[in-house]
Amino acid sequence: MKAHLLILPALLMASPAFAADTSPAELLARYSAEAGTAADPARGRELFLANHSGGKPETPSCTTCHTDDPRAAGKARTGKAIDPLAPSANPERLTDSAKVEKWLGRNCDSVLGRACTPGEKADIVAWLSSL
Amino acid sequence: MGAAMLQRNPETVMLTARVKVWDVFVRLFHWSLVAAITVAALTGFLADAAWIRWHIAAGLAAAGLVLARIVWGFGGPTYARFADFVPRPAALFEHLSEGPRHRGHNPLGGAMVLAFMAAILVLAVTGLALLGGVLKTGPLASLVSFDTGHGFGEVHELLAFALLAMVALHVAGVLLESRRSRENLAASMLTGEKEARPGDHPSRPVAANAMAAAAVMALLAAILLAANASLASRPIPRMPVATLDPVYAEECGACHMAYHPSLLPAASWQALMAGLEDHFGENASLDEETAAEIESWLLANAAGTADTKPAHVLARTAEANPFTLTETPFWKHVHGDLPEALFASKPVGSASNCAACHRDAASGLFSPFAIDVPSPTRINKETQQ
Repeated sequence: MKAHLLILPALLMASPAFAADTSPAELLARYSAEAGTAADPARGRELFLANHSGGKPETPSCTTCHTDDPRAAGKARTGKAIDPLAPSANPERLTDSAKVEKWLGRNCDSVLGRACTPGEKADIVAWLSSL
Repeated sequence: MGAAMLQRNPETVMLTARVKVWDVFVRLFHWSLVAAITVAALTGFLADAAWIRWHIAAGLAAAGLVLARIVWGFGGPTYARFADFVPRPAALFEHLSEGPRHRGHNPLGGAMVLAFMAAILVLAVTGLALLGGVLKTGPLASLVSFDTGHGFGEVHELLAFALLAMVALHVAGVLLESRRSRENLAASMLTGEKEARPGDHPSRPVAANAMAAAAVMALLAAILLAANASLASRPIPRMPVATLDPVYAEECGACHMAYHPSLLPAASWQALMAGLEDHFGENASLDEETAAEIESWLLANAAGTADTKPAHVLARTAEANPFTLTETPFWKHVHGDLPEALFASKPVGSASNCAACHRDAASGLFSPFAIDVPSPTRINKETQQ
């Protein structure tokens, strides 16, 4: 019992303050404005579920780690669980702009072999928030 | 204690006096030592790391038995005493050339007893030095470095082989002497009795001083326990850093367990941080500021700063993969027997998930006391879910 009480503050200290500086709607508006076009959740879904060939062979698709259901937990190639991406299943998602940029930056490169365009980001955010 | 009993012989029926030679303590000591050395040898030579508790317990039990026997060598009855069996060199030669029968230990047997005692005590001390230096636990952890502990380990191993040879010689000696003197020496170590024969080498009868011997044994045990407690409370130098940097834990722990910085040498961490764009097949790049902060913390706490076993053995990285722990010769050596299916199973996930089996993986210690491989039942259960 005591050990559990000690672990909790340690965990809180280990994760940097949760910086909720944005919202899914705000991100959607920002990426759409950058793209200059309206976002389309259906295009986002297609991009997310498709197999791509430009990226690293280990990660042909977003679904490699996130599964084809963003409301469910995914699994990294290491076996470590990934929390759901859809804000409906995980309210922390799409609320920290630096985190969103970091992971889209890494994962678009891993999967597509290039950065995602603002339009693609808007589509993905639109689809994830629609679920 | 002499008891007369009838012994049948094909030609004659004669009365033979039987005397008590091995008192109950000596017999209990002998057979307990046989059990302790058997367990220590089996677990030491054949079993894997999971059995180390049994090995240490058996080794310490053997050393404890020897210490008690040494006390009994001064306070026990006639044949238990060192005075009865510590051989003069001349007696050894006399015995070899058909000297008189000894009811207690004959001179060669007596020499073997002393050699056993010395070997077992030195095995215990070198074992504790190995435990302290390499595994950073036990009474000598604060005093012995990894390298010194490793050296003591070599001595420990050599002595263990020597002890096996001594056991073989001892058994051979018992068989030969039993034949030569036409008696069952092994049975005497069970019953404690031997025939009294005319012409036996005379022993000066002494009564046991059991109370005094027990008091000395208790005092000795108390001193050893107090010394152990005092030594164990000393700080252990060059232990791996105790808490992970929160930025490191957050950033690197997002996709995999946050590997302790002492598991790789500084050069390996540098190479790893320089290639985050293609990190084991994924882009794991960080912004410059975060990357610099993490790298400086990793370098400040890399393998060279810790004196643990992982910090030493994993520092020998594979040339082609300077930062892949699972490619290091040591990792492969100790995990080679494990089935691929275990790593792929649900509770483990992949070989990168050290913490699935090593409860203390996060600390960088990887103690053999903290290994907990998921059982086949658990693997089946979780895989079906």
